[in-house]
Formats: sequence, C-alpha cells, structure tokens
Amino acid sequence: MSKADLASGQVIRMSLLFRVQHLVLTALLLVLAVTGFSLMYHDNALAQAIIRLEGGVHNRGIVHRIAAVLLMANVVHHLFYMFFSREGNREFRDLAIGRRDIDDFLQSLRYNLGVGAEYPRFGKYGYKEKFQYWGASAGTVLISITGFMLWAEEFSMRLFPKVFLDLAMVVHGYQGLLAFVILFFWHLYNVHLHPSVFPMNPSWLTGKVSAEWLRQEHPLEYEKLKGEGLL
Amino acid sequence: MKKRMRRRSMAAAVAAAALFVAGAALAATPGVNECMDCHGDRTIEKSLPGGKTQSLHVDLQEYRHSVHGGSGCVTCHADAKAPHDKLGKVACGKCHGDAEKSYAGSAHGKLRAKGVADVPGCDGCHGKHDVRKVKDPASRVFRLNIAATCLRCHKERALEARYSHLPDHKLIAAYEQSVHGMASKKAGLTGSAVCPDCHGNHNILPADQPRSATHRQNIPTLCGKCHPGILGMYEKSVHGKGMRGGIADSPVCTDCHGEHTIVRASDPSSPVNSRNIPRTCSGCHEKEGISSKYALPKKRFSSYMDSFHGIAVEYGMTKAANCASCHGVHDILPSSDPASSVNPANLQKTCGKCHPNASPNFAKGTIHVEVSPKKAMGVFAVRMFYTVFISALVILFVLHVGLELYGRWSRKRAAGKEEKP
Repeated sequence: MSKADLASGQVIRMSLLFRVQHLVLTALLLVLAVTGFSLMYHDNALAQAIIRLEGGVHNRGIVHRIAAVLLMANVVHHLFYMFFSREGNREFRDLAIGRRDIDDFLQSLRYNLGVGAEYPRFGKYGYKEKFQYWGASAGTVLISITGFMLWAEEFSMRLFPKVFLDLAMVVHGYQGLLAFVILFFWHLYNVHLHPSVFPMNPSWLTGKVSAEWLRQEHPLEYEKLKGEGLL
Repeated sequence: MKKRMRRRSMAAAVAAAALFVAGAALAATPGVNECMDCHGDRTIEKSLPGGKTQSLHVDLQEYRHSVHGGSGCVTCHADAKAPHDKLGKVACGKCHGDAEKSYAGSAHGKLRAKGVADVPGCDGCHGKHDVRKVKDPASRVFRLNIAATCLRCHKERALEARYSHLPDHKLIAAYEQSVHGMASKKAGLTGSAVCPDCHGNHNILPADQPRSATHRQNIPTLCGKCHPGILGMYEKSVHGKGMRGGIADSPVCTDCHGEHTIVRASDPSSPVNSRNIPRTCSGCHEKEGISSKYALPKKRFSSYMDSFHGIAVEYGMTKAANCASCHGVHDILPSSDPASSVNPANLQKTCGKCHPNASPNFAKGTIHVEVSPKKAMGVFAVRMFYTVFISALVILFVLHVGLELYGRWSRKRAAGKEEKP
C-alpha cells in the first residue's frame, strides 16, 4: 500500500495477479456459458441463432473446448499460487471454512430480523465470499471431470456404460446452470447491488476498497491491518 | 421363313384384290395420290365455329415415314371418297383390338366414352398421320420422348383444376428433375423409369384404385421391377412383412422416397438424405396412433433430437448417426429380432461402425434416453436433483437479499424514531 493510498483511505483488497485471474475467469465463463447453453437449449430460437453465429455446432464445440482449456489453465495457475506463494497461502487461510462461518451466518440472520443486537464481525472473507469461492471451486472440479469425459468420448466408451455418459452430460449442463445462477443471483448482487457497494465494489478493477467500507463490512480484517500498522 | 413367304403372298393377293376393287370403283375408294390432290395443299382448311380454322393439310413425307405409311388413306378413313364431306371417326381398334380394349378401361378411356373431349384418344399420344413404332426414336411414345408427351397435358394447371383427383401439376412436372427424369432426359438412358413404366400405358388408372399399377399395394413390386435387390431386402424387413401382411400403415417405397420427386439420397432435398431421415421416419414413428397401435416404443424422435447425434445432424454434421445408421435402411428389423442391427447382441458392432472403441459394456442400457423414472431413473434423478437444488438456491438467495434489505430498512426507521423525540 502506497502512502498516497493510505492518505486517501484506500486499502488493497485484490492484488494485480488476482485481478488478472478474475478477469480471465469472467471472460472465459461468459464464453463457456454462451457456447454451452446454446447447446443445452438447442430447441430455443435464440440458442439456434447463437450456434449459427458461432459457425455451426462443430465450431461451437471447438470454441467451448478452447475456453475450457484456458479456464483450467487459469485454475491450475491459481492452485499453484494458492499453495506455493506467501500471498496465496495467506489468502487460503482467510478462505478456510470453519464453525465460525455458520455462527456468522446465523448471527446475520438474527441481526437482520431484529433479534440479534450486533452484526457479525467478518474477517477478510465472510460467509458470502467463502460460499461463492468454494461453490465455484467444487463446480469447476465437477464440470471439468464431466467435460473431459464427454470430450474424450471414444476413451469413455471403452471404460463406461453409456449411462455414465448420459449422466455426465446432465451433470455438466446443470452444473453450468448452477454456476450461472450463483454468479448472477449471489455474486453480482453482493459486488454490485448490495447497498454498501452500489453501483459496484471497485476492487476487481482498481484492487482497492475504502478503509471505511472495510471497517464496517470486514472489521476483523480492518483491525488486523491496523495492528500490523498498515492503516 | 415359310410363314413370312405365305404372308407375303397373302399380301400380294390382297393388293391384287384391292387393285381390282379400286379399278372397279375408282370414285368410291381414292388412292393416296387422289387424296393428296386436295390434302397436299398447305392452305386447305376448314372453318370451325367461332371463326377459327383447322388445317386439313397432310404432310405426305411424314405419312410415308410413319408406321402406316405403306397402306392407303382408306385403311383408316374407310368412308373417304373424292371429294367428301366430314369423315367418320378413325377406329384404330379395328386393327389394334387389345390396345383399344385396355384403353377403354383406363381413366382416359372412361372419360372419353362419356364424351369428354380433352382426354387423349389414340392420336393424343401416338400422333395422327405420323404414328411411328414405339421403338423409333422419333416416336412421341419412344422411351426418351414419352415424358414430354404426357407432360404436354399434365404440366398444365388448368388440367389440375378441371380434374380434382389429379395431384399438383408441379408435383407431376417435378418428374423432369427427379433422378429418373434426369437419367432419361439428361443422360439419355433408356433404362430409367418413364411414365408408363409405373403408370401403365393404355390401361392407366388413378392410384387410389386397387387395379391401378401405382396403387399402394402394388408399389414395392412395381419399383422392384427395376430394383429387385432392394425389393428382396425390403420384403424381409419389418416394413415389407407388414405391408405384405396387409398392414396399410406399413411404409412402401414411395412413403420414404417420394414419387415424382425422387432424387438421389445424397441430394439435400431428398427425404432420405441423412439430414432429413429423422423427420421422414418420425413422420410415422412420432405419431401417437402408430406407436400405440403397434406397441412400439415412444418418443424416439424427441429422444434422438436431444442426443448428440440428433443435434449434430440438425446442424448439418451429416457424419453423425441418423435413424438409418443404426436401424438399417431397407432391411430394418425390430430390435427383438436376432438379425436386427439394434438387437442388444449386435449393438456393440453397430455402435462400432463409428466408435470402434465402444466396449460391450458401453452398448448396455438405453440408447434413446427418454427421461422418466421408468425409462432412465439415473438421468431423471440427477436432473430432478439439480432442478430442485437450483430452484431452492434461487429462492434462498432471494430470501437472503430480502432479509438483508429488510434489516437495513427497519434499522434506519428505528434510528429515525430515536432521533425525532
């Protein structure tokens, strides 16, 4: 954090590397969603128009797979970073799920219902962010495995009965839908529409949030930074 | 040889007799030359009601080259004198009795007998003074010319309007562009099917009459005249056996291939082109009536169209399997038949045509996945789980957001109340 940042009350929340990973992920997920859902809902006229736009069902598959491979590369890079870098290690600890997250969740319900007196004191990542992160991770694993099964269909046919491929197709499609729903209803609400950040939390572009926002929404992280003398 | 000699001497005797008679009654039975005195004149004509005229000229050259060119005018125009009034009708049946008899029973013949003037009599197809042998390439009914002769009338929209049972004139004319029409018209092959090969010639009847050559029940045999190998396969198939067993719903050749519009299967407009096969088969197999009546599995089309194969074919990847790739074409058998390509014992081989790595294990289980608890429990359950899970998540998200907004709103209100007093 530069002195200028501190003077203007700004705190770094996303490092440049995470911002790049996030942007790449955003772009690739959009490509995968457009190419994937147009196949899943191929009866729909809009889906058919999109497939034509993509140059037919064959080219659609190529685009989808290129995006998938890039996404997986992004994920592998992310994993290496999380496990083998100091910053990644710290993030990983911040993202770990514990008993506390359930308590925080219940506490926030009580608080909003007017029963509890105090809003939960979140660290860098509260239950909302953790749910988002681990949900997306589990989904990525499942969708990658099923995706590979369907991609290497000749190989799969040697190993599995057809019903495995049928199931893989259903899981792959619906897992995509699930990811899409979480991103649209949960993530976009929390980072754009939530009253504390509306119209958006700027950290995905600038990497920074205001110290005041951090103090209100993530007080534990605020205090930690203060204790370290970074604020 | 002997016979011919005798015939010749007979002909000579008849000619001599004719000469004798001619000499005796010159004025009553004129020779060709006498007739040509008047009819050789290119300008000779008669007036018709309505101010129109009809030429009465006879082209001697044409007549001489015709199959009847060796006989005299009076052979056909028996009542001709020189000069003469309106002549009686020419009776071809006098010599061509069989043709006349079979013509009389035809659709054309029956209408003509009723006095309908615009159906063809003998001359309508064969010509008048220029009648030639069927095998003569200059004949109107020669194999390469007959289609044009029939279409001269049947291409007309007016004809279709007058005779309601006739199919669309465009459909009939489509023959010219069909694989049969092109083979004779463009390639000049006499082996290709022309109109009378299917419809008959003198005894032509509408296809809805059981005696018609083109009646549904006669179609396989009819096409089999030229396509015997295919007929043999068809006869053994479930469709062929059904059709021969009197099941009218069972498809015959034309149900899949079309009639006048038949084109090669490689032509994108063919109903049996790999892209169009699913729709052609489902024309019957997606019908509730058909599958119930014959206890056939249902939803074959929709389950196929939702599969990778179906989607690929729909978007033009014709390499992907269509109905015929697995079930066969003319030799389709029910999956219960051990010889069927979709019999469980043969599935690995059938799948293996495109997927050589498919294991015996792979081919087990449902191919057409109809998502229902009874037909595909696994797929149904997973789909159900996701549907419920995703719906529940959306509801919970909305509730969470609502609760958060409610909390903010109620705290704000409480804070406002505290400030006021």
